[in-house]
Amino acid sequence: MLQAIKVSKGTKGAAIALSVASALGVSSLGAPAKAATPVTISVVLAAPPLPAAMLAEFTKATGITVKWTQLDWDSLQTKIAAAATANTYFADATDVDWSRVGQLGKLNWFLPMEKYIDTKALAADMPQLSSFSKNGHVVGIPYDASFMVTTVNKVLFAKAGITKLPTTIDQYTKDLNTIKAKNIVQYPLNIPFAAAEGLSTYWYETTGAFGGNILDATGKPLFTDPKSAGYKAAAWMVNAVKTGLVPPGNINVADSQGQQTLMAKGKSASTFSDYSGNVGSLYDVPASSSVVHQVQYLATPGVTGTAANLGNPDGIGIPAKAKNPEAAAKFISWFTDGKNMADFAGANGISRTWVGYFFPSRLSGIAILNKKGSIIGGDVLAGMLTNSAAVFPQGAPAWYPEFSSAVYTNLHAAAAGTMTVEAAIKAMGAVATKLSSGK
Amino acid sequence: MKFRNKGFRRFGVGFILSWSLIPIYWVINTSFQTDAQISDTPSHLLPPTPGWANYKALLIGDGELPSLVRRSVINIFIECIAATAITVILASLAAYAFARMEFKGRKFFLFVVVMTMAFPTYTTLIPMYRIMAMLHLVNTYLGIILCYVSGFLPLATWILFSYMQSLPAAIEEAGSVDGASRMQVFRLIVLPLTMPAIASTAVITFLFAWAQFIFPLVLASDQSTQPLTVIVAAIQGRHVVPYSLLSTAGVIALSVPAVIALLTNRFIVSGLINGSVK
Repeated sequence: MLQAIKVSKGTKGAAIALSVASALGVSSLGAPAKAATPVTISVVLAAPPLPAAMLAEFTKATGITVKWTQLDWDSLQTKIAAAATANTYFADATDVDWSRVGQLGKLNWFLPMEKYIDTKALAADMPQLSSFSKNGHVVGIPYDASFMVTTVNKVLFAKAGITKLPTTIDQYTKDLNTIKAKNIVQYPLNIPFAAAEGLSTYWYETTGAFGGNILDATGKPLFTDPKSAGYKAAAWMVNAVKTGLVPPGNINVADSQGQQTLMAKGKSASTFSDYSGNVGSLYDVPASSSVVHQVQYLATPGVTGTAANLGNPDGIGIPAKAKNPEAAAKFISWFTDGKNMADFAGANGISRTWVGYFFPSRLSGIAILNKKGSIIGGDVLAGMLTNSAAVFPQGAPAWYPEFSSAVYTNLHAAAAGTMTVEAAIKAMGAVATKLSSGK
Repeated sequence: MKFRNKGFRRFGVGFILSWSLIPIYWVINTSFQTDAQISDTPSHLLPPTPGWANYKALLIGDGELPSLVRRSVINIFIECIAATAITVILASLAAYAFARMEFKGRKFFLFVVVMTMAFPTYTTLIPMYRIMAMLHLVNTYLGIILCYVSGFLPLATWILFSYMQSLPAAIEEAGSVDGASRMQVFRLIVLPLTMPAIASTAVITFLFAWAQFIFPLVLASDQSTQPLTVIVAAIQGRHVVPYSLLSTAGVIALSVPAVIALLTNRFIVSGLINGSVK
C-alpha cells in the first residue's frame, strides 16, 4: 500500500488552487482585446466576403473598415444564439433569416432597424421587407431576394411533346406523368424529402400553390382539414413518391443536393420549389450542369392559374450587443443599396460580382440588372418578386424552428412510408396548436 | 465450433472495419473527383481522373479560400499543441498531488475533478463564453486554449493519477531520504517514471483538441483564431454545397489525427486503460 507523504500547508494550498483554477479554465492572463479603431465593424454572414474592391470603396467613403467572417448557416445560427444567451458581443452585423424573425423579435436579440434606417421609405422598393417585421419592429433588412420558384427543363418537356408549359397544378402533374410514361426521364420531379428545412419550405410553397396558408394570425394550423391547401399539398408531395414521379432515393436528398445532382444533371424535369437564381448560378454553369440553357423559371402553377411565390429571403441585422450599431447601420444601408446589389449580381463585371449572390431584394436593383441584360430570366424573376408573398403573412412565429422541425420530420416519415399523410398532418397540427397556445 | 467462432470473429472484425473505414474511403474518393463526377450515376468507386486539383484549390494560391484554410491549419496546431502542453503539465502536477500528498479533502477534490467528466460539454458552453468575454479572451488563442484545458484536464488528471498510484512509493521515499525536495522528487523521479502515461495523455488530449468544433465556433469570432474544423464547415454554401471541396477539407482535417493515431496507437490504448482502471 502506498504511503502518502506529508506536505506543508502552503504546498497543499497551491496544489489545490492550481487544480481547481485550471479545471475552471480561469486565468488572468491575456491583455484585453480592443478594437483597432472605433470604426472597424465585424460582419458575420453565411456567405463569402464581398469583392475587396467594393469593400474598399465603402471604407473610403465612410471611414468604416469591415472585417468579414464567413460561417456556414447552421453554425452561424448556433453562434447567434450562444452570443445572445451569454449577452455577449460577437458581431456588429449578422444574418437575420426570414424564418427566425419571430424568434429574434420576441427575444430582442437584434436592434430595431427602424431606429437607424428609414424602413418606411424602403418598403415600396423592397417587397420582402414585411417578412422581417415583428411587433412593429424591423428586425433585419433583406439583402438577397431569395424566393421559391418552379423550374422546368423545357427540353425534357418538349421531348414528351409538351409545348405549352403548365399554368395549373393539375396540368403540371399531368405533364410530369406524361414525361414519365414516355420514359423521357424515369423520375421527372425533384422533391427533397430529407428531414431538413428544405422539405418544410417545399411544402410551404406547394401549400401556396394549392391556394392556402400554413397558419392563421394566431398561429393555429390551417392545414389539418383534408380539404385544406396544406393537407392537399402534403398528399400531393407524398403521392408523387408513391407513384414514381420522385426518385425513391430522394427520401435522403436535401434541397441543394437535389438541385445539384438531379436537376442540374437532367435526371429530373422539374423542381416545384427551387431557389430563385438557380438558373443563372447553377443550371447554366457548364462546370456544374449538363443542362445549360435548358432550364427556365415557370410561374408557380396554382389551382386555377398562377400562384404567388413564397419568399425565404436572407436578411442582415444588428445584434443587440453590437459595439458599433451606427457604423453597422451605415454598412447595411450601403449593402442593401439597389445599385450595389445590382453590382453584386453581376451588373458591372466580375470584379464587382459577389460569389453566390442570387438576386437583389430591391426592385430598383433588379431594374438595373434588367436594363443591362445581365440576369438570366430577370424579367420573369422581377415579376415573381413583385408578386411574392410571405410564408407567414403575420410574420414567422417565435416558435418557428420547433414547428419546422415537426413539419420536415413528419413529412419525411410519410414519404418514407412509416406513417400516413393523415398521421403526419395530425402530428404537425398538434405541434402548431401546442406551440401557438403557449403550452 | 472453433471454426464457427473464428468465422464469427472475422465477420465481426470485418463488419466493424467496414463500418468505420468505408465512409473515410468515400470521402477520400470524393476528394479526388470533380463536382460533375460526384453526381454521376452510378457513383464512381474509384476517381475516374484522379488529380490534386481540389487539394491545390484549398491549400495553394492567393485566393480567399486557400488563405483561410492555411490560416486555420496554423490556428488548429497552435491551439491543440498549447492546450496539450498546458493540460499535461497541470494534470501531472494535480495527479501527483492527489496520488501522493496528504491534505484535507483530497478524495473530495479528486472526486469533484473526476465528476466534471460526466457533465455534458454543452452545459458549460455559455458559462465559459461569459467568463471568456468578461476576461476579454473571446477570439484569442488563450481563451480557446483555456477552454480546451478546462475540458480535458479531468480525464488527463485521472489517467496520470491512476498511473502514479501504481508506481512504488519507495523510490520517491528514497529520493526524499537522500535530501531531494518535493519538486525534485517530482521532476527527477516521478516524471521520468510517468513518461509512458504522459505520452498517452498528450496524444489523447491532442486528438480531443483537434476534434473540437462547438467551443472554437463560439469563442473564435473571425479567421484569426478559427481552427480548421470550423473552416471546414464554413466551406458549405448557403444554397450550393461544394461536395468535392468539402470532402477535400475533411480529408485534410482528418489526416493529422489519423497519422497520429496510427503512429501512437500503443500510447492511446495504454492511456485509456490507465484511465479506466485504478
